[in-house]
Amino acid sequence: MTRKQKRLSVIVAGLAFLAAAAGLTFYALGQKASYFYMPAELATASVQPGQRIRLGGLVESGTVVRGSGATVAFSVTDTQKSIKVTYTGILPDLFREGQGVITEGAFGSDGVFVADSVLAKHDERYMPKEVADGLKAKGVWVESKSQ
Amino acid sequence: MVETGHFALVLAFALSLVQMLVPLVGARTGNQRLMAVGGPVTVTGFALTALSFTALASAYAGSDFSVANVWENSHSLQPMIYKITGTWGNHEGSMLLWVLILTFFGALVAVFGNNLPATLKANVLAVQGMIGAAFFLFILTTSNPFIRLNPAPVEGRDLNPVLQDLGLAIHPPLLYLGYVGFSVCFSFSVAALIEGRIDASWARWVRPWTLVAWMFLTGGIAMGSYWAYYELGWGGFWFWDPVENASFMPWLAGTALLHSAIVMEKRSALKIWTLLLAILTFSLSLLGTFLVRSGVLTSVHAFATDPARGVFILCILTLFIGGSLALFALRASSLTAGGLFHPISREGALVLNNLFLTTAAATVLVGTLYPLALEALTGGKISVGAPFFDLTFGPLMVPLLVIVPFGPLLAWKRGDVIAASQRLVAAFALALAAMLVTGLFIDGASVFAALGVGLAVWLVAGALTDLAVKSGAGSVAPAVMLRRFAGLPRSVFGTALAHLGLGLTLLGIVGTLCFGTEKILTMRPGETVDLSGHTLRFEGLFPQKGPNFTEDRARFLLIGADGNANGEISSAKRFFQARQMATTESGIRTLGLSQLYLSLGDEDNDGSVVVRLWWKPLVTLIWGGGLVMMAGAAMSLADRRLRVGAPARRRKPAAALTSPT
Amino acid sequence: MLFWVIAAILTLGASLAVLLPLTGGVKGASPAGDHDLEVYRDQLSELDRDVARGLIQPGEAEEARAEIGRRILRLGAADRPGSANPGSSRGIKLVASLAVLAVPLLSWGLYGMLGSPELPSQPLAERLAKNPADSSVDELVARAEAHLAANPSDGKGWDVLAPIYLRLQRFPDAISAYRNAIRLDGDSAVRQSGLGEAIASAAGGIVSADAQKAFEAALKLDPANAKANFYLGVGLAQEGRKDEAVAAWQKMLGQLPPDSPWRSAIQQAFAEAGQPAVAAGAPASGPDAQQMEAAQQMAPQDRQAMIETMVAGLADKLKQNPRDEEGWMRLIRSYAVLGKPDQAREALGRAVAAFGADSEQAKKFTAFAASLGVTATE
Repeated sequence: MTRKQKRLSVIVAGLAFLAAAAGLTFYALGQKASYFYMPAELATASVQPGQRIRLGGLVESGTVVRGSGATVAFSVTDTQKSIKVTYTGILPDLFREGQGVITEGAFGSDGVFVADSVLAKHDERYMPKEVADGLKAKGVWVESKSQ
Repeated sequence: MVETGHFALVLAFALSLVQMLVPLVGARTGNQRLMAVGGPVTVTGFALTALSFTALASAYAGSDFSVANVWENSHSLQPMIYKITGTWGNHEGSMLLWVLILTFFGALVAVFGNNLPATLKANVLAVQGMIGAAFFLFILTTSNPFIRLNPAPVEGRDLNPVLQDLGLAIHPPLLYLGYVGFSVCFSFSVAALIEGRIDASWARWVRPWTLVAWMFLTGGIAMGSYWAYYELGWGGFWFWDPVENASFMPWLAGTALLHSAIVMEKRSALKIWTLLLAILTFSLSLLGTFLVRSGVLTSVHAFATDPARGVFILCILTLFIGGSLALFALRASSLTAGGLFHPISREGALVLNNLFLTTAAATVLVGTLYPLALEALTGGKISVGAPFFDLTFGPLMVPLLVIVPFGPLLAWKRGDVIAASQRLVAAFALALAAMLVTGLFIDGASVFAALGVGLAVWLVAGALTDLAVKSGAGSVAPAVMLRRFAGLPRSVFGTALAHLGLGLTLLGIVGTLCFGTEKILTMRPGETVDLSGHTLRFEGLFPQKGPNFTEDRARFLLIGADGNANGEISSAKRFFQARQMATTESGIRTLGLSQLYLSLGDEDNDGSVVVRLWWKPLVTLIWGGGLVMMAGAAMSLADRRLRVGAPARRRKPAAALTSPT
Repeated sequence: MLFWVIAAILTLGASLAVLLPLTGGVKGASPAGDHDLEVYRDQLSELDRDVARGLIQPGEAEEARAEIGRRILRLGAADRPGSANPGSSRGIKLVASLAVLAVPLLSWGLYGMLGSPELPSQPLAERLAKNPADSSVDELVARAEAHLAANPSDGKGWDVLAPIYLRLQRFPDAISAYRNAIRLDGDSAVRQSGLGEAIASAAGGIVSADAQKAFEAALKLDPANAKANFYLGVGLAQEGRKDEAVAAWQKMLGQLPPDSPWRSAIQQAFAEAGQPAVAAGAPASGPDAQQMEAAQQMAPQDRQAMIETMVAGLADKLKQNPRDEEGWMRLIRSYAVLGKPDQAREALGRAVAAFGADSEQAKKFTAFAASLGVTATE
């Protein structure tokens, strides 16, 4: 091989590598990213059972039921619709009725959302951003004065 | 004192403007006097910033609630240590720490940069001044920590309880030392572009700065990871949280820079690439600052969610990244290319390293920014988490880790893969053995687990092989070998330690992810639970009172095989009165390199408690490996090679500008 | 003042940092090539060390040495001509003087806009050490809190602080303070009833089971404890047992000393119990417009009762403070309006006695009473 050919082959190999990495990245974005929904949006979106999504909203007051062991059932609402969620594990410290929450998981075949992680807002000043935006869009959110 | 601090901050801003303009004009016109202004101004600017920071810290220590920032983030009953660390546990204070470190590094360049060509030094200080001026202005206009309250409130609103922790007290300063350390590399690059030439001393100077920044960034990330592990109570050590990514991207780019700077220094090759990489690394640091500080992300760290701040930082970001890249596009062609090399050589291996690392940084960047872009463009909200990164980052890392041991064993210019492979036979055999033992003899080990263990052992053994080969193992007598070993340059030890640390971290990750076990159950006092051969008995909940919180502490006894208790683990639910906020303190017990990890859930009406229990084998290696990597960087920094220029002063006293301090 | 001195010193220092290098002598700087040469020399010596250690093959070393040599040669060839364009000395002077001026002007200007130079530092310890008389209630509370943080087993301290918390509406703090006081200094009716009130207030006025328990404990120690009796009545009313509540309060009225502030609270509670929506209120100090309005809507016998208690309260007040001209006249008129001429007459007698039979006021009272048809008994 001449020097020119050598250089060319190195460049081609490099570009092929980058193309493969880019392809993998976009494939992964399509497959592995989970979409965020509020309960009312699920009516129009087609979410298959088993597909990973994030479900956010407020924990509906009076719906938190502790089942056997560490399993908890509650409903997530955006004040228009509410979705039943079950979760096994330890709820975050800031999980409270009437407060914002994001759950991640998938719907079971019975229509109940089985969450494998539950995020509550991290401090008193902070509401999960997606939830706040969603509620604002629905006109339910009232900006609080506290910072 | 408070107002003195405020005034010092304003004065430091004024000086930073002088620092950014006067030496630059001096370097353009070749005026020695104007260039000489850079040094003293930089050092004075640092002294004033330090005074300002001290004033704020003492306001925190003395609970001076006439300072709004103190009132918002402190409480008179907090322990002193958290009063002081509260100084940077909030947006305003942490930005002040940021510029303090920036001016500190600037002052270091000013004081120890006498062996640099005068114009290069002047330009570097000017670029540092620009960064400083932008951030001083940001602090003074949008995030001033010295805003006063009159009359002063009597009690503060307490530091966010999640941040009242020693780990978090150390994490931000380390991280900032890393982020901001790369600013020096950036300034050197921009200065070289302004001058239109890269001096040989340029490469020699950029490398130690990269090492310093990389060392602190490694420590900062490890500390942050450990903090998240024990404080958030989820038992995870890495969440691919956007803010973690924000610190990880500069680390990946900085690691690439660390390696390409070697090529540049040794062979004068990859000059332009190294320059670009230095710009990109600091740009990613700035991006990290932007992502965290602007509040565009949903994250634990987002304690600033003020649009004005976000816009301001975005302007800084655009100005510096855009400006430096434009300058690069304009000037890069005028820089001369360096030495040639064969694809299979030390240089070639390092290029491959750069290719993988920068691509990995790019995938992390895409994964972090894509949700933001998508939301801005279509309004759709997605979250990109571990599954994405497992699929993209993982495949990029595996081949990189496989080639790591080859790199140091290849010769410069033209290497011999076969000779290197022969030297690595022992390491390979060891890795293979570890893989087989894991796969065959450990219950529940998957193929991935076996491969992971093999890869980790390969890295560790490869690093040791490097040391052995360079000491002449197998070709000289043991005594000679020992002497040679002791005489190896410290940078060789540095390389080996860093690669060894990487292997240890990988071993910790594989051990925890593949062999860890977990249980969630409700327990009543007196009940016992078994997990991976460890028996725990729940003793009960005990209320306690801390300085600014009350807690219910759950005590567990570790029961040995003989039925006796041989250790205790306790986890607590804390309640902080001032913020009306609860936190969970996880219980951790280290057994060898592994840990038992325990987190407390809600208390039921009948006195039972939800308990989540993990067995995390080898988990301490994750952060221990980080410490070893840091030690490697420190070792490399101590290499005499990096102290070049000291002779310049001795032999040519006239050549050096005397330090203005 | 001290601050301005420090600020001036700092400004001076910063300006000097700019000024001194500008006026100082210039040391001959070496061209950049010299620095590069230094680096190459160092690389050569490093190469020699590596060869000596056997880290590098002699062949490779030769090649590397040749390469460094080539770089040194290139350096000599490309040595830059002395820095071009030294710039007009006028321009340089302009830049220099601007830089020196910018530091004080900019800093004082900007600080003038942002700073609060008149405010001294106010560390908490210093503020707490001030004379208590100058302190606000908040500061006094903070001082007490600091004391209790250091001596958490000082029951008396908690006892003092608890009602203050209650008045400042820091109910959770009040609850824990009362609990601490009870734990450390023992039970008392006042503490238990205070605890009950704090619990109820924290719950927005609802008398919960916990609050009820505290009130009952208070009554066990002192059956006449007004606060406990009152709130237990409120609790009954909240449970919808209004009749029992009213009965309890009626019974209280009979036992209360006539000047008790609880009388008006009970009146208010009566008023509210008459309303369909029952909400507990904090004890108020006297009948206000709202209460009077409520009185208008009451059943006649209730209104009568309310007015009677008010009159009794007034009579008691005058017993304490007899030199209240207005008050006596109101009392006399009230008795007259209520159709109790005997009592009106007695009140007149007492009023006259209070001011002396020959006084101006006595004559006025007699005339006033006469206009109402009340004549003094001789």
